[in-house]
Amino acid sequence: MAHIKVERRSMRPEEWIKLRFGWLKREICSEKHEIETFVIREARQTSEMNFEFYDEAPRPLKKGDMYFTPDGTAFIEADYELPAHLEGKKFCFSLKTAAEMIVKVNGRYVGGIDPNRERMNLSEYVDGRKLHFEIMGYNRSKPDDERNPESLSVRGCRQIFEGGYIAVVNEAVQSLVYDIEMLLDAALSGAFNEDFSALIIDELDKALNCIDFDDIKTQDVRAASAYIEENIFSNEDYKGSGNVALVAHSHLDIAYYWRRIHAVQKNLRTVLIQLRLMDKYPDFKYAHTQAYTYETVEKYYPEIFEELKRRIAEGRFEPVGAMYVEPDCNVPSCESLIRQCLYGQSFFREKFGITVDNCWLPDVFGNSWILPQILKKSGVDYFVSNKMSTWNDTNRFPHNNFIWRGIDGSEVYACVPPTHFISWNMPSQIMDNWEAYQDKNTGSATLQMFGYGDGGSGATEEMVELMHRFEKLSVMPQTEHTTGKEFLHKNFDGNQKLSVWDGELYLEMHRGTFTTKSNLKELNRKLEFMLREAEMRCVLRMKQGIEYPAEKLREIYKKLMINQFHDIIPGSHITPVYRDAMADYEQMERELKEIIGGGERYFNSLNFERNSLTFIPDENGKIIRKGICGYYAVPEIPALSCGKIKTEKADGWFERDGLKIKTPFYSVEFAPDGSIISLRDNELSREWAKGDFNKLKIYHDTPGNYDAWDILPNYKDKQEEIRIEKPLEFIKSDDECAEFSVTLATAKSTWQRIIRLFRRSRGIEVENVVDWNEKHRLAKVEFGCNVLSRELVCDTSAGFIRRETHRNTSWQQARFEVCHHKWCDMSEHGGGVALINQGKYGVSAENNVMALSLLRATIRPDPTSDMGKHDFCYMIYPHAGDAIDAGINKTAFEYNIPLEKADVDCDFSFNDKLWLQAVKLSENGKMIVVRLNEQNGERGILNLPKKAKILNMLEDETGAAEKIEYAPFEIITLGFEL
Amino acid sequence: MEKYINEYIRPRLQGDGGEITFVAENGNEVTVLLQGECSKCLILDRCLKWIEERIEADLDRKVRVIGIRKKPYFQDT
Repeated sequence: MAHIKVERRSMRPEEWIKLRFGWLKREICSEKHEIETFVIREARQTSEMNFEFYDEAPRPLKKGDMYFTPDGTAFIEADYELPAHLEGKKFCFSLKTAAEMIVKVNGRYVGGIDPNRERMNLSEYVDGRKLHFEIMGYNRSKPDDERNPESLSVRGCRQIFEGGYIAVVNEAVQSLVYDIEMLLDAALSGAFNEDFSALIIDELDKALNCIDFDDIKTQDVRAASAYIEENIFSNEDYKGSGNVALVAHSHLDIAYYWRRIHAVQKNLRTVLIQLRLMDKYPDFKYAHTQAYTYETVEKYYPEIFEELKRRIAEGRFEPVGAMYVEPDCNVPSCESLIRQCLYGQSFFREKFGITVDNCWLPDVFGNSWILPQILKKSGVDYFVSNKMSTWNDTNRFPHNNFIWRGIDGSEVYACVPPTHFISWNMPSQIMDNWEAYQDKNTGSATLQMFGYGDGGSGATEEMVELMHRFEKLSVMPQTEHTTGKEFLHKNFDGNQKLSVWDGELYLEMHRGTFTTKSNLKELNRKLEFMLREAEMRCVLRMKQGIEYPAEKLREIYKKLMINQFHDIIPGSHITPVYRDAMADYEQMERELKEIIGGGERYFNSLNFERNSLTFIPDENGKIIRKGICGYYAVPEIPALSCGKIKTEKADGWFERDGLKIKTPFYSVEFAPDGSIISLRDNELSREWAKGDFNKLKIYHDTPGNYDAWDILPNYKDKQEEIRIEKPLEFIKSDDECAEFSVTLATAKSTWQRIIRLFRRSRGIEVENVVDWNEKHRLAKVEFGCNVLSRELVCDTSAGFIRRETHRNTSWQQARFEVCHHKWCDMSEHGGGVALINQGKYGVSAENNVMALSLLRATIRPDPTSDMGKHDFCYMIYPHAGDAIDAGINKTAFEYNIPLEKADVDCDFSFNDKLWLQAVKLSENGKMIVVRLNEQNGERGILNLPKKAKILNMLEDETGAAEKIEYAPFEIITLGFEL
Repeated sequence: MEKYINEYIRPRLQGDGGEITFVAENGNEVTVLLQGECSKCLILDRCLKWIEERIEADLDRKVRVIGIRKKPYFQDT
């Protein structure tokens, strides 16, 4: 017998309520007067404050006209005379639009309109009847949040103008609409007690019976509100539990589906709209991140900045997040993350007189284990992030309010709220947060951020109005509207019950962001080290009386910081954002080259002797590496010294028999595709290869919706066929290096691998010259090592982290792709294999196989991502002992920091057991700041050349010393008086 | 026409997360391939009309632009 599903076709009570609710909403405005004088000029933004116009003169804009263009900004103006009867009364401006609009009236920034708010108060900000409107609108195809039905429904780059109006709001209707909005959410979301939900529906139905919808009268509306007050809000039969702190916040991606230039106005709109909410609601407070965004307001909109400063002084507009931008916290180096704090905090101190004691990174894709120490030494005691709790694809992150312990043992209070950082303050969202909160017994209140993000411009009047009603809804958890700082201090300070998480905050998602847009990653690494070199040389030149270019260096550093934003360096952005970043990188490289300069002798800026084989550019050199002629040499230049390169003549240092090669270190047997069948170590008498070794593999990489972000665990299911176009052959050799080349190909791409064996180095370098035209592919190079190890040791840029290579539990299974910096290593007692890279960050390891991720080919958000030519190198480095014994970290610095000529002399030196991470002029220009970093996990004593100030990372003096006992992974900042 | 589509129109659509590539020109018909956000745009016809208007304004040619919409981006081949 066929099963027939019985469907109710008659109207349910909740449907009848919704229908009448819709009718009621049409009555919010009691008067509407159309402004019929609008004119428009369509444009496209070309820089932060410049626009290219399509037409010479404005055209009239009438209701029903098409407006906005792809990537478009529109300038709309109108002159309007207010009806006489409205003078002195409350009225607003109303415009329903998909775009984000800043509205100026009579020369004053009055507010903003966007898909989340179609009205803004006007009467409070204008005098007289003559109104001149100037509207700047930016339209986006991508809604601020794909969960937000309001903005999703109006997406698209060409819109229909629906008219602009002066309107008068019927406050009684508006208030009832807010009541019903909240109650319907509570009743229909399923988040609350079923009986209470039934009561709401029953009583709402009766409340709406007070109104004759054929002739809606204000007194009937008031009667309905009174009915709700008496029969729902006064009901105390149902009690909720919980404690939720509500912090208004608007997350803003500086670049993503829009360029950085657009973020200037996106940010302004957000700031302006939140300031206007403060005007209306005296209890309203709002938290805003990223010193950079405040800088743009100050630079381009000084009048708004002054208003902002006043609200900050009142404690209502709250700068949160100590950093300059919200950076990715996987790829940037230790020194970059320190500078994020230094430049962020310097701005907040200088402009607002505050040091922000929290780091606010809700949207970043996991957080490196090195962060707690950096934060703690940058005046930050509290850390707020979000994605681990809401986006992990395998394991539920076990804490929300806890203590995060870093690589060196530093601890910060950490809050990873249980639900999304963008919410619209609905009762159900607050209840969901409390239900999901895992530290109810130890962590006190849970944090709920509310407000639309990414140009959605934060909190709305509706969110604030609902918040004012929460205490009337007995089933709700207890809520408190607070600032970020108040929440953190109140719930964490002195809390002895908090659990401790000791390790990285790995995000079990977005694992592709270590690899996507490989050019950005490679240049970021290169520029980080160029900045180190430039700052150090400029300090050394001060002794020659040459002024330290502090402003210029800070400007370049800030540009690097901006491009480390969490949707720029990870590669998760549209094509123009990539172009902007590459243009920035080219400019930075050019400027840094000029600052670094040249000289007669080579300068070793490392604080240890440079004795690894190094590529020296030389137009007479026989080797061409990354398009540059040169030769390899062992510099043997002492730490922080200048010297000349000594070369040695050597003939016949390797033997070749087909694809079998013998060097002083190895007996290598290659396969025709450039992979290594056998790598016999002549010195250590052992074999390094077991399985595919240096084998290029291209996998089908189809992660679905989050294309640029994700690699799925099943990526190995299908491999692309790689054919050998030109088998491995000997190319040439000189006194130090023998080169072999193979060309591989797929149907769409070619991949030349140049393999270099050396006379005086254990390293085997592989250069990859790729013409990459794939789609949905992931290229990896795999190394099956003849090593029994259950862990992969990975460089973090400030020490190493050990990660298990087995798949025993879901936690290890989830970490099938991880982030590392310059090197990773798989060792057993006695020896191991390290892989040293120049700008690759993704790596995987399972059992005895390490695989370095080389290139991806994603198509969303950027269909052109990673297409075209690539030329990059990595080094295979088998060694005796473990990675620390073998000095892999030092070798990796030598591999990443080019040896270049200089015109400077250095008269200081530091213990070579610590990494000399930075030498710079202090921000106040009074000290030389030296930063040292223990990276091997050892204790020791650092004897200083003279008494130095001990500084935190904000360059505040915390003590003085001539001798320092340092601890594993400690970062030490010293100040030497000029 | 190909140069105009690829060098003038394309950066504008890319700025909105879209992608357009010139495919062919046949008489007064210009065919383009649309990817990225354009591939799932519900009001793409408005954008194609705008492209026609721009071509008329900048190249002084009246053409009909035909858009080939690729499959949703994550299934694009």
